[in-house]
Amino acid sequence: MKVIPTALKSVYLLVPVAIIMAFLWAPPAQVLGDASRILYFHVPLAWVSILAFIVAGIFSIAYLVDKKHTFTGLDEKAYNSAALGLAFTILTVIAGSIWAKISWGVFWNWDPRETSIVIILLIYIAYFSIQGAMASSENRGMVGSAYLILAMVTLPFFAFLVPRIYPSLHPDPIINADRKIFLDDQMRSTLAVAIVSFTMLYCYILHIMNRMMKLKKHIEEIYHDAD
Amino acid sequence: MGRDILRNIQKDFLVEFRSRFALNVSASFAAIVTIAISLTAGGVPFPVPVQSILLWIVIFFSAMNGLSHIFVREEDQATALFLRISVSVDSIFISKFIFNQVFMVIILAVVTPLFLFFLQVQVQHVAYFIFSIMAGGFSIAAATTILAAMVAKAGGKGSLFTIISFPILLPVLWISISSTSAALSTPPPTGGNLLFLLAFSGFISVISFLLFRFVWLDD
Repeated sequence: MKVIPTALKSVYLLVPVAIIMAFLWAPPAQVLGDASRILYFHVPLAWVSILAFIVAGIFSIAYLVDKKHTFTGLDEKAYNSAALGLAFTILTVIAGSIWAKISWGVFWNWDPRETSIVIILLIYIAYFSIQGAMASSENRGMVGSAYLILAMVTLPFFAFLVPRIYPSLHPDPIINADRKIFLDDQMRSTLAVAIVSFTMLYCYILHIMNRMMKLKKHIEEIYHDAD
Repeated sequence: MGRDILRNIQKDFLVEFRSRFALNVSASFAAIVTIAISLTAGGVPFPVPVQSILLWIVIFFSAMNGLSHIFVREEDQATALFLRISVSVDSIFISKFIFNQVFMVIILAVVTPLFLFFLQVQVQHVAYFIFSIMAGGFSIAAATTILAAMVAKAGGKGSLFTIISFPILLPVLWISISSTSAALSTPPPTGGNLLFLLAFSGFISVISFLLFRFVWLDD
């Protein structure tokens, strides 16, 4: 039982290490200089935004499939993951627009990846709008889960479409078609540590949120039993 | 099942065309927005891409005003529970899906001629234009059937339907705008966009059909 929380506590070490590596150890990029250090925050934030969306979608599928309610609170876990995803998506947009201003001179220009992250942001907003509108309804979990699944299955259409509609200004992918890596070893390892630490941070906060949800339910049960 | 579907469609049409509430709201909205655009433009024709974008914005918001009504009405009039216990989930989805498709065709039949008339749109490829409008409308109605059920469950609150529909319908709007632009331009268009719309409609209809029971039935 303690293995997962102990592993997650590594976040206390990983996040400071990632920050130190990003600011002090990794060399500045040739063209962008020190401004390029935002890469070590923007890319992990974007990764976690999508990871949180996928995790929320998986919890939603599990919630709908698990008709006998063998596992409790799956819909609430999906909600917690989406809440974290929304926070990380907003941070991704902020970090991305700062980087865009430094690199391209404008905060926003509907680059394919900017467009994709905005679509995910809109999906999160729509999901929370439904959840908010159904706050007192017993069907909140079912409807919210169905919406997340519906939104998740339409994402491949966006992946196909967006690059065909908007030309990209983004730098080449870290691993390109020639399988060559454009970052040097120090930059690459800093980015890897940052991605792992942000992923662990997401898992850690999600774990805390899920535990809080469980405790809240437990307290409510005790309160109702006392009545 | 077939008889249930037919009976349900017949009931929906009777109820809708007795009050014509959703139809009146959608058609009036389309007319007002189209006239407002034409009036503010002062009769000056827009470039082709702007015409396509405006057309699909008018279609999208006109549809948003009417398509959710099919489920919201059931909840408002407290007939949803009766429907739940008397007709199978699959029959309800199919009948509402068909109703929304017919309703969308009516909206398109009102919006498109109005738009062509007031905004001086010159259609270069008439058949392709009609197919684009129909395929885009089909996709919108296909995707919004289950979303309408969700909104009805949420109490049919205000603009919630538009908020939850927009992210799902974005690919449809993009492709519909692109194919409409192609129909209004001189170079001959290709059928890729129409195929995409039909593929999207088929895919979203199947997923909606599978998910509908979770939305419609109470936990």
